[in-house]
Amino acid sequence: MLVFYISTVLTGNAPAQDYLVTNDDSFTNGVSFYAIGSGSALTFAMEVPGPGLGIGGGLFGMSRVVAVNSGKTQCIFAAEAFTNDVFWIEAGSGIAGGAATGSPSDDGSANGIGLAANPQYVYASFSTSNTIATFQVQSGCALAFVSDVAVGGLNGGVIDGMAVHGNMLIASYADGSVESFTVASGPPVSNGDKQNSTASRGGNTYPNGIDVTQDGHFAIFGDTSTSDVVEVSDISSGRLTSTVAYQTHSGISSSNVLLSPDQTILYISNTQGDVVTAAFFNKNTGVISRGCTSGRLKSYVQAWSYLGSMVLQQITGNGGGVFVAEFGAPSYIAALNLSVEGSKCTLKEAAGSPTLDSYSRGLLSIGRFPPRSY
Amino acid sequence: MSIVRVAKYLIVTAIVGIFSIVSFAQCPARPVSGTLVKDPYTIRSQDGTLQADLSLGKSVDEQGYTHYCYQYQAPKSVVEAPTLRLNPGDTLQLNLADVVQDKDASTMRMHHAAAGQVCGDGGTATVSSTNLHFHGMPIPPTCHQDDVIDTLIQPGAPAFNFNIKVPADTPPGLYWYHPHVHGFTEFQVNGGAAGALIVNGMEKVRPEVKGLKERVFIVRQQYLVPWIPGPYQLSLNYQVSLFPEGPAPFINMKPGERQFWRVANATLQDFMPLQILINGKPEKLELIALDGYPLAQPRRVETILIPPAGRAEFIVTGPPAGGFGQFSIGPYDTGPTGNPDLSALLAVITPVAGNLPDDSPSISSDGTSGATAPRLKWSDLGDVKVTAERKLFFSEEFGGTNGPIQFYITVNGQQQKVFEPDEKPVIKTKVGAIEDWTIENRALETHAFHIHQIHFKLMEVDGKRVPDTDMLDTVTIPYWSGTGPYHSVKLRMDFRDPAIAGTFLFHCHILLHEDLGMMHKIQVDP
Repeated sequence: MLVFYISTVLTGNAPAQDYLVTNDDSFTNGVSFYAIGSGSALTFAMEVPGPGLGIGGGLFGMSRVVAVNSGKTQCIFAAEAFTNDVFWIEAGSGIAGGAATGSPSDDGSANGIGLAANPQYVYASFSTSNTIATFQVQSGCALAFVSDVAVGGLNGGVIDGMAVHGNMLIASYADGSVESFTVASGPPVSNGDKQNSTASRGGNTYPNGIDVTQDGHFAIFGDTSTSDVVEVSDISSGRLTSTVAYQTHSGISSSNVLLSPDQTILYISNTQGDVVTAAFFNKNTGVISRGCTSGRLKSYVQAWSYLGSMVLQQITGNGGGVFVAEFGAPSYIAALNLSVEGSKCTLKEAAGSPTLDSYSRGLLSIGRFPPRSY
Repeated sequence: MSIVRVAKYLIVTAIVGIFSIVSFAQCPARPVSGTLVKDPYTIRSQDGTLQADLSLGKSVDEQGYTHYCYQYQAPKSVVEAPTLRLNPGDTLQLNLADVVQDKDASTMRMHHAAAGQVCGDGGTATVSSTNLHFHGMPIPPTCHQDDVIDTLIQPGAPAFNFNIKVPADTPPGLYWYHPHVHGFTEFQVNGGAAGALIVNGMEKVRPEVKGLKERVFIVRQQYLVPWIPGPYQLSLNYQVSLFPEGPAPFINMKPGERQFWRVANATLQDFMPLQILINGKPEKLELIALDGYPLAQPRRVETILIPPAGRAEFIVTGPPAGGFGQFSIGPYDTGPTGNPDLSALLAVITPVAGNLPDDSPSISSDGTSGATAPRLKWSDLGDVKVTAERKLFFSEEFGGTNGPIQFYITVNGQQQKVFEPDEKPVIKTKVGAIEDWTIENRALETHAFHIHQIHFKLMEVDGKRVPDTDMLDTVTIPYWSGTGPYHSVKLRMDFRDPAIAGTFLFHCHILLHEDLGMMHKIQVDP
């Protein structure tokens, strides 16, 4: 029934239903589907087993699951770092359609495999081999390996966060450096702009998760640090420029960032601060200003101590808040509601939060479909 | 070391193991929750020697928790992790066989012992390899004694012999033994591989305890998957405390009875603010010893903070007739990146009149009564000349859950690096040295500093002289909040004893941190 339900969503035969998807990242891995209901409620729908195996954790800035529209097809891609593959699910099918591996040397078993995708290609960053593999999206969401490219930070760091926007792919390394690539022809080609981020030069911080504004003007980096640092680079020239660092003094280790659909809010997942921040963002200038921060999330004292990635509750306006992955065994998904009045805002964990992600033992990455429009 | 190997092993054996219980149950059944707490079985030295055969086994219980157990064949049955009880000057002859049957162990190869430094079976360390550390004991860091750098005991090999002469000046008190194979200590201790070792004679130093009934309690902690933060269980002498979801274990005492309790924190990472509540109010405990070292004077305290690996020995007065007591630990804030340490009721204390079936011996029955009170080792440490000062610091780097999560302990001025078994000592000193070490915590998580072979004297906390300069072997250093100065302790290290010459370890005693390399070597030259 669920398979039918999800499929009808995509064929327009039923009222639209949004889904949150998780990469459960367990040894017996899979992707769990949750229907996003009113009032930020999540209802477990099903788990689609993956063909491979996960490692149960890894780098915070990596997206281990992504959802994209490829033509009329909604595709979900999920990484499996133990077996070094990426598997695909055609939404509505209820099964994993298959899995693709990169070259024999592509290895993400130490810290995971990050994914970024556009309708034509899926890019997979392998943290152990320090490579980015390119897969072409084919009919039925199937992936075909194209090639891989060796990458690496200026200071020897491994590939970490990754985002793709238009013809640009932007990457962060776990040593404070960042780099952009052109993906106009599919496989990434460096733009030759590898550089240390501004904040990382002071030590104790390095860019991790990445988001890009709708018009491709700014790339925003969430930093792993001993405080809360977010950095912004003007990429309107097609290359990274020196980052501007911001501190909102609201959490610790702002490793994941996510722009609201209207780009007025930057959601920040403080992976060690155990709180989520909503900062104000000026899409014209790239300036970040202080907004509001949630209280410590409810599950903290029970089962976990890290936050993972976020997805939007809604794909219009300011998003209305976010869902955030809570790493642990078991893992949870917390829901936070945002309200904004003028220059002030409130971000509060929802009454029914968190939701147990019963199939996961190392939840770090969540996605949603339909995704944000950019 | 490779963190992913740890991850892979755990996923294979723990997560899958939850759903497919290991069929070979090597460990004895553990006590049912909510029942009477009994002391561990005790083996005493006789005629100056304690001889015992232990074997390390492994099982997985119905809930998926992996048990590692030190099995001992007592006259009536096989018991787990017996208390070893010796007098100063005795000899401990302990044969330890590794009988773990683990088909997955071959996937977890770690390192080869350096050539020429093999002790025991040598070869490759796996999660099923083991060795033994006699925590707190002032004994040589050499093969067949307290060496954990090169000693490796492999599954299926003949028993390895530990032959230890307990120095005649060993302070009386509670010590403990546990495995210490780099990279795998956490797994085996998580499974319960830990036991008490008591050096007799406390009543000669602290006569307050003479004639009191003695109880030995070991608090253990078990995670389903120890490397992932999550729910855990605490147990008291292997009896899991399920309260409030289930009945609490209970301890019987005669109404108003005074007893001498010896409590070891054998958890992986739990900082335990311990209290005894009588009718809901904290009792003023009479603290006798910390980390196996008698205090200069007993202290009246309501709360005793015992870090992981720490021990506390104190006098308890049981609840009056009609009253009730609680053996509890409070919550402890380990910092923004620390794991939550929750409050727990370890046991309820029930006043019961008459002779109790679980009667434990009184402290005067250890066979050393009447002997002359010894002059305590290290008792002059506050007054001796310091020969060197050093600064060390804890720090962490978190980029993800599996890595790069680097846990460092670093000598100030040296490069931050994680421990490698074949590394060279980062500190060199000589027998006779007296050193003051200032240890800062620059991490957002509380750490527990421990050094092998010696005790140290706590001199200062955060730059201020402490009123009670206790001798310890493990000390808590609170987390850095992100602003302001780092928390620190100043410790006086005594390297005068020629018996401890050699190379040994210092590290954080949060066992995940230790396994991931928050540890280094010190070399003490003769």
